[in-house]
Amino acid sequence: MLSRQPGDRTFPTLITLLVLGLLLMTFDVRSEGGGVTGLLRTGTQSMVAPLQKGAAFVVNPVVDVIDSLTNVATLREQNRALQQDLAEAQAALVAVDDDLARLELYEQLYRLEATGTAIGRTVAQVIGQPALEGSLIIDKGTADGIVVGQPVVDTSGYVVGTVEQVTVGTATIVPITVGPGGVAVAVGAQVGVVMPQIDTNIMRLELDAEEPVFIGDRVVTSSGSVRFPAGYPVGEVIADAAPTNDTLSTEVEPYVQPDTLRVVVVLAWPPDPITAVTEPTTTTTTSTTVPASTTASTSEGDG
Amino acid sequence: MRMRSVIIVGLILLLAVVLQTTLFSQTTLFTPDLVLLVVIMFCLTRLRPELILALAFMSGLAVDLLGSAVLGLRAMVFTMVAYLGIRTRERADVGRIITGVWTGLLTLAGVVLLILVGTLFNQTVLLGEGVTDRLYLVPIANTVLALIFAPLFVRLVDRDTTAFRYV
Repeated sequence: MLSRQPGDRTFPTLITLLVLGLLLMTFDVRSEGGGVTGLLRTGTQSMVAPLQKGAAFVVNPVVDVIDSLTNVATLREQNRALQQDLAEAQAALVAVDDDLARLELYEQLYRLEATGTAIGRTVAQVIGQPALEGSLIIDKGTADGIVVGQPVVDTSGYVVGTVEQVTVGTATIVPITVGPGGVAVAVGAQVGVVMPQIDTNIMRLELDAEEPVFIGDRVVTSSGSVRFPAGYPVGEVIADAAPTNDTLSTEVEPYVQPDTLRVVVVLAWPPDPITAVTEPTTTTTTSTTVPASTTASTSEGDG
Repeated sequence: MRMRSVIIVGLILLLAVVLQTTLFSQTTLFTPDLVLLVVIMFCLTRLRPELILALAFMSGLAVDLLGSAVLGLRAMVFTMVAYLGIRTRERADVGRIITGVWTGLLTLAGVVLLILVGTLFNQTVLLGEGVTDRLYLVPIANTVLALIFAPLFVRLVDRDTTAFRYV
């Protein structure tokens, strides 16, 4: 039973604050993360970022030690498996070296030159995660050339997500496993979209397919994606599926577990983004021109 | 509320926000919601109920501003939890275990509300992997922390060394 005394102003205060909260929500949704609410977010994140960086500097090694101690048995197993993988990868590398040498020879014969479309990369450390949210906070922001909407991969090149918000010194990344939209992908020659699902890291794959897909098939970003460059690995199919009415639906396990990431790579893609430039600032790691402060939400165009 | 109390409350909230986004974002089993816990603990202090509601709203707003979910969502949820806390606090200060259980139940209410309102507003960042695990992991972690720190917290905020001695 709830207790209440006469003359008590708690209930009117509650109603007032709830109405204020609803107004804020409506305003934030309508302004799509920009405007005054965007400015508030940027200001608050800029103020707390130094504290988060300091705390992450102290906390990360401690958490690593505890993790190592609690997972020592698993780590030994993983170490053995990784050593085997390394041996296989080294053998594959020798074959790739042969191919590269052959490619170089052909390039010389045909006088080919690289087009210079290499994507700029900004390596960033994960310094935190907002409470009970799937997003990640990184220690790089507009000062380092980060722009809202840029794709993020891990150090192996596996797709992580996109930049959702950015301040001068930090940025918030929303992983594809929780992001509101899907990502345009390809499985072999067939194209479709992967979408996040509630309460699981496993993603739903919808393909315009004429052929079946099988367990272990690699899912990569397609050239039709407006959020990611083509060819970046997303995950692998975990259930066989055959097409019905030229479409198929199955599940994909992403290669990346966002919760475990400590370092990510932000890609300056598209190489020359068409963004609303207010006060241009030249980046230090890429040639991208960025606004001084950007907080607008990422447009989830795929899917 | 005196200046010293304002500073103490502000520092506690700032510490909760920083620890939540750094230390407890990396733990998988022990996952408290420190800011929500602090809001619930405020209900046990002698602060005015209206002030507690305002603090809850501001705390939620601060977490909203640092996250990527829609602004005002946690502000509303934390305010509702604080209201429930204010209305039921007389039953909570009878013993350490009761305080812990009360905190756990209020946390559960908060997590459920957050998921419900998040679903209504299509906030997928709140509904990712482990959302059902959160329904029991967060209340359990908050219960444990309340069992240990609730009396200390109340004594610190109220500056009353005799508070919560459970005699």
